[in-house]
Amino acid sequence: MPEPMDATSPLLELRGIDKTFGAVQAVRGLSLSVPAGEFVTVVGPSGCGKSTLFNMVAGLDEPDTGGAMRFKGRGCHARELLGRVSFMPQRDLLLPWRNVIDNAILANEIEGADRKTARAKALRMLPEFGLTGFEAQYPHQLSGGMRQRVALMRTFLFERELMLLDEPFGALDALTRSIMQRWLLDVWERHRRTVLFITHDVDEAIFLGDRVLVMTARPGAVKLALPVNLPRPRPAELVTSPEFIAIKREILAAIEEESMKSFQSSGMAA
Amino acid sequence: MSGAVALPAPRGAAGLRRAAPVLMGLGRLVLGLGIAAAVWEGAVLGFGIRPEYLPRLSAILSTIAATPEAYAAGFLRTALETLIGFAAGVAVGVLNGVLFLRAPVLRDMLFPVFVVSQTIPVIAFGALVVLWFGNTLLAKAVIAFYLTFFPVTVNTLVGLQSVDPRQMALLRSFGATGRQVLLRLLLPSALPQIFVALRLGASLSLVGAIVGEWFGDTTGLGVILLQAMYTEQVTVMWAAILCAAVLGTGFYALVALAERYLVFWGAEA
Amino acid sequence: MQRRTLLTAAAAAPAILPFVARAQGTQKATLRLKWLAQTQFAGFYLAKARGYYEAEGIDLTINPGGPNLLTENLVATGADTFGLSGGTDSVFAAREKNLPVVCIGVSHQQTPFFFVTRADGPIRTLQDFKGKTVTTWYTGANYVLLGMLAKIGLKPGDFTMQPQQVSVTPFVEGQIDVVTATKYNEFYTLMTRMGREKLRTFVAEDEGITFPRDTLIVSETTARQKPETVRGFLRASIKGWRDALKDQKAGVDVVMAASPALDRAHQEFMLVEAGKLMTAGAAAQQGLFWIDDAAIRSAHDFLRQNDVIKQPVDLAKAYDGSFLAAIPVADRMA
Repeated sequence: MPEPMDATSPLLELRGIDKTFGAVQAVRGLSLSVPAGEFVTVVGPSGCGKSTLFNMVAGLDEPDTGGAMRFKGRGCHARELLGRVSFMPQRDLLLPWRNVIDNAILANEIEGADRKTARAKALRMLPEFGLTGFEAQYPHQLSGGMRQRVALMRTFLFERELMLLDEPFGALDALTRSIMQRWLLDVWERHRRTVLFITHDVDEAIFLGDRVLVMTARPGAVKLALPVNLPRPRPAELVTSPEFIAIKREILAAIEEESMKSFQSSGMAA
Repeated sequence: MSGAVALPAPRGAAGLRRAAPVLMGLGRLVLGLGIAAAVWEGAVLGFGIRPEYLPRLSAILSTIAATPEAYAAGFLRTALETLIGFAAGVAVGVLNGVLFLRAPVLRDMLFPVFVVSQTIPVIAFGALVVLWFGNTLLAKAVIAFYLTFFPVTVNTLVGLQSVDPRQMALLRSFGATGRQVLLRLLLPSALPQIFVALRLGASLSLVGAIVGEWFGDTTGLGVILLQAMYTEQVTVMWAAILCAAVLGTGFYALVALAERYLVFWGAEA
Repeated sequence: MQRRTLLTAAAAAPAILPFVARAQGTQKATLRLKWLAQTQFAGFYLAKARGYYEAEGIDLTINPGGPNLLTENLVATGADTFGLSGGTDSVFAAREKNLPVVCIGVSHQQTPFFFVTRADGPIRTLQDFKGKTVTTWYTGANYVLLGMLAKIGLKPGDFTMQPQQVSVTPFVEGQIDVVTATKYNEFYTLMTRMGREKLRTFVAEDEGITFPRDTLIVSETTARQKPETVRGFLRASIKGWRDALKDQKAGVDVVMAASPALDRAHQEFMLVEAGKLMTAGAAAQQGLFWIDDAAIRSAHDFLRQNDVIKQPVDLAKAYDGSFLAAIPVADRMA
């Protein structure tokens, strides 16, 4: 169903969002906006509420009353976003009893797509994800990088305007990770989805993002939104360029400040 | 496995590869049984064991051969009771597990009742079942069911509860309904746990059926066993035990085989 | 005259109608045995095979018994219509517990078991039981043993009494001195394994104790509401038993057909012994299933003296010979 969409309004907009779990306030006064087609990365000290943010945008957690959440220019509850964003959590979370193809089409199957059509589409996508010939393999027969690519393929096949990627490469070794990053950019440039990408790796955040959001220590909010005006496609050696280093310095300083805050507050509490 | 280099095998070859160890296992099983039979026969002869304690295997087999129809009828009847009770126990057990997961109130209400039901000795329960259902096949199946449904309930619930919550969240984020989560995630995830109970249930349901036959019946391995015990027909008793062993092992093997094919991914985190 | 007959018939018709309907349509009933199929029950199986119950308008199902099944309970609750229960002792016990069962016939007129020792062993008289180990069943036989020994002045402490397991092997091996055996089952095993001449037996009747067993029972409701069915059942059963005792091959055949794994020689022996027990005592004059009031009274008094039954049982209510009395004595003779 076509939805009226204000061309000027961002795809996703959060204004003054709070989220409390019992006595713990995970997020306070969080505001951000993600324009359509943008690759936004989120970094912050551990425990800053990044995952809380994601769970809310994925529709899994409802924010406290008071804030405003807008998707495609319309105010909405978080739960209305279930099935409307394509979410990839930290772990690949592949189902061990499904082979590569059937894992990839899981989300399509749930939305009621014809299995045969979905499988055919997934088969065509295999080369792009470096999984040619592995369609009938089961997760326990795959390496970690391959499993992550299957999970990404599942996320891409679930065609939604907004993709949420929660540290998808966190569990991979450094070399595989950098290969996967370049590969992801490749794929992204061809499919041009709006991406919200969580990471704790500053290099990764700058290398991938059009804009980097730095979060404060808990309760989480956006401390800094920094545009990354580096040309695309981005080569691997970009990370050593002075422009890259300059952005990195600024981000690290902000994170450092927040880390000290959380360190001090926990020290005081102890 | 270096997945990046190895060529993935097509489905047919994978099937063959899976069948080969089964065939080899079967060969080893036959060999093992042969050795056991030889040791049995040899020991009885060599040590002069009296038939009251352990008859020769050949004597037992020829006892069966003398009235094969009696043993065949007993075998089939007991097998049927076992199977019906087992199937009902599994169906009800899995259903209970799902129900208890979805409605913890129901779990808190019914679970203690189930536990109490399991503390009733099967002998006492059997006497009740005969009062309720008479000397029917159903009565024996009910006893087999009674021994099966509880472990299946417990293990299904444990299996369902141990599903990774992140996996649940993922499916929900795809917009999955409760039914879709149940069928595509919860039940398959619980399958390894459920199969632990199924293997247990395979043995228990046979015990239930045989014990059930001790509450008065006309046909069945339990009937032959009991009759032989009280008239001291030792070879007949052993013949019934042998039949029950074949039935029990065969049933267990079938369940284990089904497990191997259905839970091929093993206990993967 | 003719008109009068017609009138009478017309007046009687409504009253007769239900009986006609019942006679035409057979009614379902079950007989619960005290044990699994064996020739101890051959007459019932033969009566069924030869259609004697059907001829009485009864569609009878024979339900075998088993350990842990109490026939009195099944009959009292209506789960089974008829029962061949443990014996006079279990009928007393049931009546004492207010189970509404009535005994309508007694199969074994005398104590069906005895106590066995080795013929070449040290036990030659009951006196010799002193200091010896006896195994017996704690389901009635134990009281018979205590009673027999009490008659000659032995007290429970003078010998060791243990519950008897299924197998007689411990006796054959010489681990125990005295074993209890039914005349039709365990004694056969003892004979085949040791030889009749190696065995000495002690019989309760020699000490003036008798313990009739294998009692036919119905619920009070059945006895009250369906006396015709009860009589029909008795008629058919007696007919079956007369056949089985006369033509023992037919009696064994019908049981072997029901349970082919049984040992034929053992079953032949069992039928002979069952026949002896059924035609012993007063049954010799009064026919099969005779309820011998004197024997019942004696068993009752014996159990009462030994405090097995706490209150005297009303024997007139527990034992009802009227159904049997409706059958001419000539038809009851084996």
